[in-house]
Amino acid sequence: MSENRDVQLELGRTPLVIGGRDFHAVTEMVSSVVERRKWPIGWYIAFTISAGGLGLLGAMIGWLFYKGVGVWGVNNPVGWGYAIINFVFWVGIGHAGTLISAILYLFRQRWRTSINRFAEAMTIFAVICALVFPGIHVGRPWLAWWLFPLPYAQNMWPNFRSPLLWDVFAVGTYFTVSLLFWYVGLIPDIATIRDRATTKIRRVLYGFFALGWRGSHRHWHRYEVAYMILAALATPLVLSVHSVVSFDFATSQLPGWHTTIFPPYFVAGAIFSGFAMVLTLMIPCRTIFGMQDLVTMRHLENMCRILLATGMMVGYAYSIEFFIAWYGGNPYKRFAFINRAFGPYAWGYWTMVSCNVLSPQIFWFRWARRNIVVMFIISIFVNIGMWFERFVIVVSSLSRDFLPAAWAYYRPTWVDIATFVGSFGLFMTLFLLFIRFLPMMAMAEIKGVMPEAHPHHGPDPAERRGTDLGGATLQPAGALGRGREQ
Amino acid sequence: MKNGNDTTTGRDYWRSLEEYSQTPEFAAAVKREFPNATPDMISENSRRDFLKVMGASLAFAGITGCKPAEGWPRWPEEKILPFTNRPEGRMPGNPVYYATAMELAGVGRGLLIKSFDGRPVKVEGNPLHPESQGTSDVLSQASILEMYDPDRMQSLMESQGSSGQYGRSWSEFSVAMEGRMARHRGGRGKGLAVLSEASSSPTLRRLRAQLQSELPESAWFEWEPIARDNERAGSRAAFGRPLRPQYRFDRAQVIASFDDDFLVSHPASVQYAFDFAEGRRMAPAGGGHGEQGGHGGDTRFNRLYAVEATLSPTGGMADHRLPVAPSEVESVLGELAAELLAAPGIDGSALGSVGARLGAFRQGNKHQAFVKQLAQDLLAHRGASLVVVGTRQPAAAHALAHAINAALGNVGHTVSFTEDPAGNDATHAVQIRELVERMKAGRVETLLILGGNPVFDAPADLDFGAALGQVDTSVHLTLYPNETTEAVRWRLPRTHYLESWGDARAWNGTVAIVQPLIRPLFDGRTPAEVVASVLQGGLPNGYDLVRETYQAAFGGPNGDGFEHTWKKALHDGVVADSALPAVNVAIDGGSLAAALGSFAPHEARAGADEIEVVLAQDACVFDGRFANNGWLQELPNTFTKLTWDNALLIGPRMAQEMGLADGDMVRLEAQGRSVEVPIWTTPGQAGKSGTLHLGYGRRVSGKVGTGVGFDAYPLRASENLHLAVAKISKAGGNYAFSATQDHFAIDEAGRKATQARLSSLIQEATLDEYLHGGHAEHGHHPPALPLWDPHEYNGHKWGLSIDLNACTGCNACVIACQSENNIPVVGKTEVSHGREMHWIRIDRYFRGDPDDPQVALQPVACQQCENAPCEQVCPVAATVHSHEGLNDMVYNRCIGTRYCANNCPYKVRRFNFFNFNGGMTAVEKMRPNPDVTMRARGVMEKCSFCVQRIQQVKIVAKNEKRPIADGEIRTACQQACPSQAIVFGDLNDPKSEVRRQEESDRTYALLDAELHTKPRLKYMKRLRNPAAGLTATHEGHGAAGDDAHHG
Repeated sequence: MSENRDVQLELGRTPLVIGGRDFHAVTEMVSSVVERRKWPIGWYIAFTISAGGLGLLGAMIGWLFYKGVGVWGVNNPVGWGYAIINFVFWVGIGHAGTLISAILYLFRQRWRTSINRFAEAMTIFAVICALVFPGIHVGRPWLAWWLFPLPYAQNMWPNFRSPLLWDVFAVGTYFTVSLLFWYVGLIPDIATIRDRATTKIRRVLYGFFALGWRGSHRHWHRYEVAYMILAALATPLVLSVHSVVSFDFATSQLPGWHTTIFPPYFVAGAIFSGFAMVLTLMIPCRTIFGMQDLVTMRHLENMCRILLATGMMVGYAYSIEFFIAWYGGNPYKRFAFINRAFGPYAWGYWTMVSCNVLSPQIFWFRWARRNIVVMFIISIFVNIGMWFERFVIVVSSLSRDFLPAAWAYYRPTWVDIATFVGSFGLFMTLFLLFIRFLPMMAMAEIKGVMPEAHPHHGPDPAERRGTDLGGATLQPAGALGRGREQ
Repeated sequence: MKNGNDTTTGRDYWRSLEEYSQTPEFAAAVKREFPNATPDMISENSRRDFLKVMGASLAFAGITGCKPAEGWPRWPEEKILPFTNRPEGRMPGNPVYYATAMELAGVGRGLLIKSFDGRPVKVEGNPLHPESQGTSDVLSQASILEMYDPDRMQSLMESQGSSGQYGRSWSEFSVAMEGRMARHRGGRGKGLAVLSEASSSPTLRRLRAQLQSELPESAWFEWEPIARDNERAGSRAAFGRPLRPQYRFDRAQVIASFDDDFLVSHPASVQYAFDFAEGRRMAPAGGGHGEQGGHGGDTRFNRLYAVEATLSPTGGMADHRLPVAPSEVESVLGELAAELLAAPGIDGSALGSVGARLGAFRQGNKHQAFVKQLAQDLLAHRGASLVVVGTRQPAAAHALAHAINAALGNVGHTVSFTEDPAGNDATHAVQIRELVERMKAGRVETLLILGGNPVFDAPADLDFGAALGQVDTSVHLTLYPNETTEAVRWRLPRTHYLESWGDARAWNGTVAIVQPLIRPLFDGRTPAEVVASVLQGGLPNGYDLVRETYQAAFGGPNGDGFEHTWKKALHDGVVADSALPAVNVAIDGGSLAAALGSFAPHEARAGADEIEVVLAQDACVFDGRFANNGWLQELPNTFTKLTWDNALLIGPRMAQEMGLADGDMVRLEAQGRSVEVPIWTTPGQAGKSGTLHLGYGRRVSGKVGTGVGFDAYPLRASENLHLAVAKISKAGGNYAFSATQDHFAIDEAGRKATQARLSSLIQEATLDEYLHGGHAEHGHHPPALPLWDPHEYNGHKWGLSIDLNACTGCNACVIACQSENNIPVVGKTEVSHGREMHWIRIDRYFRGDPDDPQVALQPVACQQCENAPCEQVCPVAATVHSHEGLNDMVYNRCIGTRYCANNCPYKVRRFNFFNFNGGMTAVEKMRPNPDVTMRARGVMEKCSFCVQRIQQVKIVAKNEKRPIADGEIRTACQQACPSQAIVFGDLNDPKSEVRRQEESDRTYALLDAELHTKPRLKYMKRLRNPAAGLTATHEGHGAAGDDAHHG
C-alpha cells in the first residue's frame, strides 16, 4: 500500500495536474491534439523546415559518400571531428528520456508522468540522430557492417578489445530497450486513440499498434510487469551507455581523453543535456498545445533543479580534471588541460564553461525556475554548452598530443556544419511527426497521479469499486480513465 | 630502339594523323596548340578530366602501336645487356635491376633502377658507383615520376607564327634541318648556334667537337642556371688552372663550411654526406654502459663550423654556426685567413702572397671569438681539417679557401684536385650573354636549344626571350613544354634519361653509361641524337652514337674486347677507372694575389630599406625543371616545412622589425626589376638578408607545376647570379602557405610545452658529456607494466634504428618511401588541411635564439610498437601484430574509423580522405610498385617497414635454404639515406647491426618511458661536438631555450 501513501503525499503538495481537470479532460486535451482535422499552419511551416533539414542531411551524406571523408574538416592529428562530436551530443540528449522513464519511475517520482512520453520520444529520436553518425563517419561506410559480430565468409570477428565495438553494443542495446520501453508505454494510449478514431484508416493503424489492448485487468497486470521489467533493464543502461561512450575516449592513451573520471562525468553531462533538450522542446509545445495544466510549473521547476544539480556535477568534473592534471604530474596531461583553457581552442572551452557551469546557476533563484523565458534561454545555453563540451574533448585533445611536430588546427567545413544542422532536421522531423500522430503525454499515467486516482479521493463509488476489484498492483488511473470513456 | 628508318610505332601514330589530316576537321585541329589534346576540356575541368583525355589519347596511340602504351620494355633491335639478378631468362613479377645514370646540371649520378616486367618503378643508388655507393638523393629518387608524367612533351610541333602549330614527324624535322644545314655548311657554320644545358656526356662532347671542327663558324654555348663557375674560377685563381676540388670529409677532423651546403646541395653530396657521417659515427660501446672509458672503439668525431646566411642542412648539422649576411661570408673567411697567417708555424708559402691584403682583416675582426676558435681548431688539425666554400661565393673566396687548405697541409689529405671537365670554358653567364648579343645582332639564324629553359631562367638583364625573337629558326629539344618551348619554332620531345642511351660523368669524373629501361613512352630523342641528326642528316641512333664514343677506349671497333668492356660498363653502371686522376697542385701566388686584388673587409651590402636576397638552388624543383613533379612539390622543405611554394625567407628579427607576419607580401626591387613575394620567417636566417629559392612561379609547365610559387629569376642579373641587393617594401596582402608542420602560429602555451618536451623527444648530448658519462638519462618513470602478456618473437624480430647524429634532413628517405610504397600526392589544399600522406616525415624543432637557433631533426615513421595503441582500438582488427613484431595494416579489412590514428602517439598514420590514387592515366598506371597495394579511399595506411622487401628476401632465402644475412633486407628509406642514418635488421640476430645499435647506450625509444609502447624503431642520440673555447649562442644539451621562436 505504499502507493497509496505516495498518492497521499502527493496530495499534500501542489497537484501534478491543475486546473480542476478530470480524467476525461485529460484524455480530451491529449487526444485532441492527435485527432485534429486541421493542423495549424505553424506545424506545416515547422515541418517543411525540418524536412528541409532532413533533406540537407541526406544531401550531405550523399556528398560524403560520393567524395569521401575528406569533405569534412578532419585532418591528420584530428581524426574525429563533427561526426563524433555530434554522435556523443545526440547520445547524451538521448539520456533524459530513459532516465525520466526508468529511474524516476523506479524511484516513484510521480511528477515524471507528464513529461516521460515526451522525453522518451526525444530519446528515441536523439539516438536515431546519434546512430547516423558512427555509420557515416567511417572511411568506407559500405563496410560498416563489419562492426557487428556476424558469422560470414571472411570468418573474421571484430576486435573485442576495441571500445568502438563496445559502443556498437551499448548504443544498440540502449536504443532497442528505449524503443521497447517507449512503445510499451504507448500501448494503452494508442488504444485510446484507436477507440476514439473516426476514420477507418485510423482505426486500423492505431488498432494494429495497440496490439489488441482492451484495458482488462489482466492487460494492465501484464503491462505493469512488462513496464517494470523494462524500467529495471533500462536503468543500468542509462548509466552504461554513456559510460561506454566515454570509454572511446577514456581507454585511449591521448592526454585529455585518458582519464578515469570520464564515465560518471559523461553520464552526468548526458542527463544534463537531456533535460535541457526536454525543456527546450517542452516549453514551446506546452504553450502551443495548451497543456499548462498537465505540464505545470512544478514540473518545469523540478527539471530546472535537475539542470542545476547536473550542471554543478559537470562543473565539478571540469574542475577535478584540472586538479588531477596538475596533481597527477604527467606533463603531457597537464599541457592538454592548459591547452584547453588557454590554447587555440580556448574559445570553445570558455563557451562550454559559461554555458554549462555558469548559466544554470541562475536556477538557485525561485523566480528563474518559474520563468519560462529564462528557463528556455538557459536550456538553449546548456544545449550549446554540452555540444561544446564534446567539441573541446574531441578536438582540443587530438589537435595537440605528444609530438609537437604533428600538431594541427582543426576547422570544420561547410559540409560538417550542414550535416550537423541536417541532424536537427532529422530530429525535428521525427518529433513533429510524433506530436502529430501519437499522444505526446502519457494519458494513462497522468491519470494515475491525479487526485481522482486515489481510492478515497471522492464520491465515486463505481470508481472505488473498480479500484477495489483491481488488486494490489492495479494502475488505477488508466483503468478508471478507460472505464469512464467506455 | 629507334633504327633510323622511321618504322617506329610513334611514327605510325603520326602517320595515321597525317592521313586524317586530309579532312577539314584536322586542318582546324592543327591550328590549335595541341592537336591531340582538347584544350577546351583542359581549361575548364579538373586535372583528372585532363588526365582522362590524356589517357584516351594514349589509348588511341596504342591502336597504332601498342608497345609504348602498354609499357613494353625498350627491347632493342640491338643487344643490350642488363644488370639482372636472373641472367638466364626473365621471371615475370620479379624485379630486374639495370644500372644507369642521371645527369643533372652537368654532373652524373650513378643509379640502379628496379624494373618490373619492363617498367622501371624505383630508382636506387648504384652500389658500384663510387659516389653513390648504393644511396641516392631526392632528385634522382623523384625522377621516376617525371618519366611517367603525361604532361611531358609528347610529339613534335612546328609553330608557324600566327598561323598556328602543326604536328610534325622526326623525318620531317630532319628534312627541314638538312635544308638549313646545307646553307650553313656553305658559310662553314655561320649563323648556326647551339645552346646546351651543361653536360658532361663524352658522347655529346664528341659530337660538339665534331660540329665545331666541321663547321668552325658555328657557335656552341652552355647555360645552366645552377652552375659551379665560381668554384672553377676560384681554383684557376689559386692554382693557375681550372680544377675541381674533391673533398674527403671522412678524413677531416675539423670542417669549416663557408656557405657551402655540401651535405645536400652539392652534386656529390650523396658521397659527402656519407663521408661526413663516417667522421662522426661513434662506434657503440661494447656493453660498458656509462662506465668511464667504456666507449670502446672509435671516438674520432669531427667538428663542423658553418658560416652562412641561409640555414642549410649543413648549417643545421654544424656544431657552431655563424649567421652572417651573404656578402659578409667572404669577410669572415678573410678574417680566418688573416688569423691563420699570423699563427706561428703556418706554411707561409700558400698565404704569403696575399698577406698584405689580409692585414686589413686583422683590425676589424667582428667575429673574433668564432674565428679565433676556428683558426685554433684548424691549426690543431693540420692535414686533417678542411675549409670549403659554397658555389654562391665569389671566385676570390674559393681561391682563398684553397690557399688556406694548402697552408694547413690539407691538400692531398682532405682535399685533392682533378681536372674540371668544363676546362677553360667561359662561365655560363658569359656564354649566354654572348649568345644573346649574337642573337640581337642577327648573327644567329638557326638556334638549337638542347634542353633547359633559358626564356625562364636566363639572367633577367639579358632578356633572352626578346633576343630569341630575332632568330629565324629556333629549335627546342625539351622534356616538358615550357616557357622556352612557347617561343621557338620547332618543339622536339626529349627522351627521359630512363628511356635514353647516353653517358655522363660524375663529380669525380667516373663515366657511367646511361642505358634505357623502357622504350620511349613518347616520341622523344636525346640531345646527342638531335645533334647527330643535324650534323649527319637522317636520324642517327643514340645506341650507336654512345658505342662509337667508346670504340677507342674499349679496345677497337666491335672486337671481342670492346663487347666485353662495353657489357661490363653497362652491367656495373660505371666505366672502369674512368675517374679523373688527382693532379699535383701548388698555389700560384701571383694569380692568387691578382684574384684577391679587391678583396677587402666590408660590411653587409644592404643599405636602409634594402635586403640581400640569396637566390638559391631549390632542394625540390632545383632550378625549376622539376616543377611538374608532384612528389617534389609536396616534399616539405627541411626547415621551413613549406610545400608547393617558395617564399622570401627572412629571420624573425627582421620580420618583427618590418612588422611582417608569415605570408605577408613584400615587393623586392633590384635594377629596375621587381617581384612580389610572400615572406616566411625562418630562424637562423641572418639579419638584413633573405633567401628566395629559384625555380618556382613557372608560367608554362604541366598541370602540376604551372603557377606554383613565385618566380625569383627577375632578380637574377648576369653579373651576380647568386645574390641580389634589393629594395624591400610591404606590398600588402597575405598569401596562404601550406606547411606540414606548425600549421598555424604556435601560441605561448604551445611553444613552452614544445620546448619542455624537446629534450626527451630528441635526446642529445655533447660529445664530452657522452664520453665521460655525464649525459643525463631522460624520463625517470616508474617501470611500466603491460596490460597483456607480451608477444613472443621466436623467429625474426625486425627493428629499425635511426642515428640522429647522421640525419641531415635531406628528405631522400621521404621520396624513396613515396616511390617504393606508392604514396599519393594530395595537392596544396589538402596539405593545408593536414592530409599529407608521407609515411616518414622529418620533424624539425628549433631551440635557443631564434636568430641563431639550434636545429633538431628527427625522422618519424611508424614505430612498430610491441604494445601498439593502434592495434587495441581498431574495432574490426584491421591493424594487427605479426609474429615478427610488425604492426601490419590490413587495407582490405580497414573500414576507416580513424581511431587508430587518434590513438597513435606518434601520429604516423595516414588516412585516404579522398580517392587520392584515382584518375591515373594509362602511362601513370605503369609507375606504381606492383609489390605494394594501392590504397583506396577511406583506408588508413602507414609505414610497414617495407614488408614487401622483407618478404621478397625471405622467399629467396627460403628457396636457397639459408638464413637471411644481416643487411640483406634494406628498407627504402635506409637504402636511399646518403648518410646511412637508418639501419634495419633482425633484433633476434645477436650479430646484426641493428641489434648492436639497439644495445648502444646512445639508443632511446621515443615516448616509451611515458607510454610503454615498446617501439621497434629506436633513435640514437645526437651528439654535438662544440669547441671548448667557444661558448655557443645555443644552450647546451637539454636546456630549453625560453625565447625560441618556433615550436
